Amino acid sequence: MLNMDNVSFSYAEDENLADVNLNIKKGEVILLCGESGCGKTTLTRFLNGLIPNFFDGKRQGEVYLDNKAISEMPIYEISKYVGSVFQNPKTQFFNVDTTSEITFGCENLAVEKSEIETRLEKVVNDFKITHLLDKNIFKISGGEKQKIACASISAVFPEIFVLDEPSSNLDSKSSWEFEQIIKKWKSQGKTVIIAEHKLFFLKDVVDRVIFIKNGKITYDWHISEFKKLNHRDLGLRQLDLDNLTAKRTDYYSNNDDFLELKNFNFKYKKVPALDINNVKIPKNEIIAIIGKNGAGKSTFANCLCGLKRSFKGEVIFDNQRLKRKDMLKKTYMVMQDVNHQLFTESVLDEVLLSMDEENMDLAENILINLNLIHLKDKHPMALSGGEKQRVAIASAIASKKEILIFDEPTSGLDLKNMMKVSENLIHLQKLGITSFIITHDFELIMEACSHVLHFEDGKIIDNYKVDEEKLKKFFLE
Amino acid sequence: MELGLDNQFKIDPRTKIILLVIISFMVFNEAPLYVSGILVLVPFICLFFSDYKKAAIIYIFLYVIARYIQIYLLPNTTGIVSILLVTFSYTASRMLPIFVMGYYTITSTKVSEFIASMEKSNVPKEIIIPISVIFRYIPSVYEEIKSITNAMKMRGFGFTTKSLKSPLKLIEFYMVPILISAVKTSDELSAASLTRGLSNPEKRTHLIDAEFNKWDYILLIVSIIGLGIYSYYFIGGVVLA
Repeated sequence: MLNMDNVSFSYAEDENLADVNLNIKKGEVILLCGESGCGKTTLTRFLNGLIPNFFDGKRQGEVYLDNKAISEMPIYEISKYVGSVFQNPKTQFFNVDTTSEITFGCENLAVEKSEIETRLEKVVNDFKITHLLDKNIFKISGGEKQKIACASISAVFPEIFVLDEPSSNLDSKSSWEFEQIIKKWKSQGKTVIIAEHKLFFLKDVVDRVIFIKNGKITYDWHISEFKKLNHRDLGLRQLDLDNLTAKRTDYYSNNDDFLELKNFNFKYKKVPALDINNVKIPKNEIIAIIGKNGAGKSTFANCLCGLKRSFKGEVIFDNQRLKRKDMLKKTYMVMQDVNHQLFTESVLDEVLLSMDEENMDLAENILINLNLIHLKDKHPMALSGGEKQRVAIASAIASKKEILIFDEPTSGLDLKNMMKVSENLIHLQKLGITSFIITHDFELIMEACSHVLHFEDGKIIDNYKVDEEKLKKFFLE
Repeated sequence: MELGLDNQFKIDPRTKIILLVIISFMVFNEAPLYVSGILVLVPFICLFFSDYKKAAIIYIFLYVIARYIQIYLLPNTTGIVSILLVTFSYTASRMLPIFVMGYYTITSTKVSEFIASMEKSNVPKEIIIPISVIFRYIPSVYEEIKSITNAMKMRGFGFTTKSLKSPLKLIEFYMVPILISAVKTSDELSAASLTRGLSNPEKRTHLIDAEFNKWDYILLIVSIIGLGIYSYYFIGGVVLA
């Protein structure tokens, strides 16, 4: 069905693809994996026609779709056969309402109105998304957004689905639901090519695994062979989460110091969004905050940072009683979109801006410890995602924050970068900082966290020292 | 199958734009209520009948207060109080209807409706697509501004007396992240739209047809009459009373 014949590509920048030969048969479900920047996204761009129609670069070789050269087809022609889902649900929607988004592809391809109605009904039934129709896309969760994205490309009835890291922003439940979607396509005889870091939800649906390193296909495994390998050695995330064991089963500082949260209640439009009366959390630990989408995790984080104006709760630790305004001074959130919190023109300025009195030595010291000193004169926006995150952490240390909250710090990261985040967290712990991590990443919790807060319906339903059994129950079921 | 597309109050995006233009004439001059009244009521009708009842009532309430101040309070006040009241009441009475109509146009129009309606009037794709992207982008910017404001608060600046001393810095702090993400968003959005066949030269089809219904005609006629009275009052130079 799809043939890649000696394909090479280089962007103006560095990432590239070299001499790729790949035959994809109809009905196969193929996983493309490898470290960040290995070229798997580039490969998907060949398949959906974005190369050469959108991305410029030096190109060699040819991709054939049913023996037709893709580079000679206009991209709207390719879109009849190949549907694409991308990583960021926020930027792949053209419409603001869900129903229009589902029919958008069909409308572009000039499908008859009555036929669009039939297809809409079919995909809505297939994906069980009646409740999501006519909603504002900005008001639904990440998992729901990806479902709409899948439904909207399904409505075009393509033969091939190309997915580029579709699960980056999904929690474990939504990831398992994504597995169901791929199974559905598979049962309809469609071909699915999926580039991913997160592998656990794919183990029962993928047929073939392509491993890419430095732009070359180095392995081409059947899934049964792939299951036997050690994925860590290949720099990959875990395929079977059941194999993971918790690294930090003891508390870091066994001195019974607690953070006490009192009256953490918050109402959003008169509906209770957070309802916690009194909870004690060990100080100076790395605490995982888990729970489904909409369980109140973000509201909790915003309240803890003192960002909600009408919030009345308080935090007690070290015999200090912190009200909302004090929390604003003691806490800091490393946001998921870290671009929103970097303001200056150089990494060093970013750190200096956070200090009450500018202290060059101290600033440089912080940068050395976070391995950023070689970047001190660079513009923060010119850095990689991981580096930006470290700059945000550096500015938090500089402003003497004692509690840090990370919002999904490892979404879309490969093993190597996830481990770096974990190292940073442990570095912060040594500085005496208590970190809260809102995360769906089971691997990160096993690697770095020693305590867990489990949220549901705005309440903390469980508050425990890391416990594999309990965590596996939440993440694997 | 019921797709939740209600048949109640609904006006075509073209009508909304025409209404917005007509109402914008009000900014030119101050007129007595019996002259501008009809035009003031148009945004109210739009909001009230399309589930923005609360906004509709707040709008009329503010407008009436502004008018009341102009007629009854201004003649009796002096000094700083008078300046404040003049600023508020005249801004409100002239600008409010336009703002409210703009708000209604943007929040109540689906991107798909807008495209369908413009294509029906044979507006070229090169004009429709960029404008529809603006519709799509407004909620994104709103989310980003919220998130940047939070980030600033945590760093101890933002809308404090200290930072307001250097407002340019503040603007820069907002603009840089917004521009960076605008570039990224537009890139990713274009790529995604291309893979969905947006560049197909064939004429697009539409799930929702763009057609004028009775509401379009009623509102257009009403506002044209309103505009007629308004212009006659000023251009004709004759006081009708």
